Amino acid sequence: MAQNARSRKADKVVERMGRKLTRQMVGSLVGCVHCGMCTDSCHYVLANPDDPTYAPAHKADQIRKIFKRNFDWTGRIFPWWVHAEDIRTDADLEKLKDIVFGKCTNCRRCSLNCPMGVDFATLNRMARGALVSVGIMPEGVAIVSKDQWEVGNQMGVLPQDYLETLEWLSDELENEFKDPAARIPIDKMDAEIVYAINPREVKYDPRTISDAARIFYIAGENWTMPSEGWDMTNFGLFSGDDELGAAVAQRVYDRVIKLRGKKLVLSECGHGYRSTRCEGPNWSGKAVPFVIESSVLTMLRYIKEGWIRVDKTKNKEVVTFHDSCNNARSCGFYEEPRELLNLLVPDFREMYPNCAENFCCTGGGGAMSMSEYTPQRLKSAKIKADQLTATEAKTVVTSCHNCVDGLSDVIRHYKLGMKVTQLVNLAANAMMIPEKVVVPVEVPIPAVALPLAGFKILVVDDEPDILTFLAAVLEDQGATVIQAVDGEQALALTVREKPDLVTLDLSMPGRNGGYVFEEIRNNPEITSTRVCIITGKPELRRLIYERPVAPPEGYLDKPVNEDTLLTSVRMILELKHPHGNA
Amino acid sequence: MVGFITDIENMDGIAYYARPDLTLGAGFGTAISTQGGPKVQEALKKFGSANVTDVVATSGENLKARYILHAVGPRFQEEDSEEKLRKTMLNALRKAEEYKLRRIAFPAMGAGFYGIPLEVCARVTMGAVREFLEKAAELEEVVFCLRDSRELNVFQEHLQKMRG
Repeated sequence: MAQNARSRKADKVVERMGRKLTRQMVGSLVGCVHCGMCTDSCHYVLANPDDPTYAPAHKADQIRKIFKRNFDWTGRIFPWWVHAEDIRTDADLEKLKDIVFGKCTNCRRCSLNCPMGVDFATLNRMARGALVSVGIMPEGVAIVSKDQWEVGNQMGVLPQDYLETLEWLSDELENEFKDPAARIPIDKMDAEIVYAINPREVKYDPRTISDAARIFYIAGENWTMPSEGWDMTNFGLFSGDDELGAAVAQRVYDRVIKLRGKKLVLSECGHGYRSTRCEGPNWSGKAVPFVIESSVLTMLRYIKEGWIRVDKTKNKEVVTFHDSCNNARSCGFYEEPRELLNLLVPDFREMYPNCAENFCCTGGGGAMSMSEYTPQRLKSAKIKADQLTATEAKTVVTSCHNCVDGLSDVIRHYKLGMKVTQLVNLAANAMMIPEKVVVPVEVPIPAVALPLAGFKILVVDDEPDILTFLAAVLEDQGATVIQAVDGEQALALTVREKPDLVTLDLSMPGRNGGYVFEEIRNNPEITSTRVCIITGKPELRRLIYERPVAPPEGYLDKPVNEDTLLTSVRMILELKHPHGNA
Repeated sequence: MVGFITDIENMDGIAYYARPDLTLGAGFGTAISTQGGPKVQEALKKFGSANVTDVVATSGENLKARYILHAVGPRFQEEDSEEKLRKTMLNALRKAEEYKLRRIAFPAMGAGFYGIPLEVCARVTMGAVREFLEKAAELEEVVFCLRDSRELNVFQEHLQKMRG
């Protein structure tokens, strides 16, 4: 009877739920005794003690009641007795979306602390997958999923851009070691190691690729990077889309098999490690005929077996270590990173709790892509911020790219003054270059004025990756860069700092970019501030140009590359090109 | 073939599985807007929006292919997905004829993100191509440019069935 009253989408969601009811899932659906142990383990609850809707048991009940009404005999016969309730309308599905995507990072800390063995994160992921299958998901999840399905990686890095990045990194490596063999081998057959990475490294942090390449080169490893199937991350883990999970993992495996690689080494990424090494074979339904290991183990082996030598005193700063949820809690991978870290730094201080009990960076489970939930995510990050502060370290090391972004956001929001780095960066920095490798002598170069020196630029974006990218590019050219993550902060900083230029994202939670732009133009004190709109939503352009104020000085569509950004900024600031062109 | 649809050579047109609002968006849309340039999206604006099964053509601008066929197919388990996919394919092929295109490429239409099962996608789209090519005047070759061996295997299996 209930089925007839459901919308088509609700019907499909329930249908999919029925197909996903494994014994593990049913155990978690029926096992909860509402003892409350999970509440103390969830960072959302700890940061929102007066809001019971964040409690894992409450969140699980929103999924559980649908199960009871449709699949459990007690709920079908006595729904009023066991709190069974069907999901009927598209509005119900939207409400469920805000719970499963917006109030949980699938960190599994509650799962670990449940005396009944209820794995809420698994239920939550199943519910996410059911919603995604009918097209109900946060916009960011849709973008990243589509990029990974179609382009082949979750940041939409096009094949040519990936290969060009490896090419210029190779040129730098060859130049550094003055050795034509010091290059990144691409699609080399029969290599001992096939190295797969996170697309974030290509797009925002190529330094981690070159650091890994330096280590492989000095170790004398027979290694390669694949031209296809190189993304070891997998958004299927976050979106709950098992089909995506299977397709992405299979692409990576197929490439290693095609290249006849002996071992697949994964760069430092928690969800990538869990997806590719642990979950991928289950999703794809195929056995993997080669060894898969984290680059943390590879580096540790190189040092312990003498392939490379390191001098830990080169890493002078006091560091702490943040365990990725997927590495530590879901894969039990927390001793080896510490063993490596102790070989790389002289002063390592644990944060508490740690290992499998560590708190999430708050950017897990795809949360960094869901900007609509940023305020509640950052509020929950108070727990992480307190944990970081208590270590008194100035650098936090993590073995996960997602955590790098999550932690950077927490550090910026709570003004902790810390920096985030990874083990590969510390290993490359501590590595001693053997004498047989000729390193060019550094010749002092007379200081040249950088083209943006003396300019103050405010960059505004709610996406930390983009903020970091914009700031890094502009600072490299000599600009003084100030950052803002929302509209209110942007307006306050524009009034206070009087920047020469504001780069402005349009789609932000709270006061959006369009509002900020009009406020700048209407405030006589800052009306002449130059503004460059940078947006991933070209359809919003009309809203800017139709406003009854002077138009912005520049406009760029995301994704923005370095050259385009600098050319636009120079034009807006009316600077000559450094090479003499306008 | 396995490849990347905006990178393949010698195509008069490529198909893009478009959204009803004709915004290029992510995935292959990223590739089209990045490699083709902003004029593609500008050209789409004059059409406003489109209904499911509609197909609109724009210039490929800086892409290797001369034209892009923006085909609005069914999404996320909507009703009558299979029939709508067949109509979308036939409309795309008709549009190719109208523009006198001889060689065009399709991705695995609607499979992946939009949730059309791969087997359904292969059967319906290849069936529509065979039906259409029998009476086509201009169109000589249709290529399915797939992303991986998983997609390729299903399409090859179906091709064998069609031949058998």
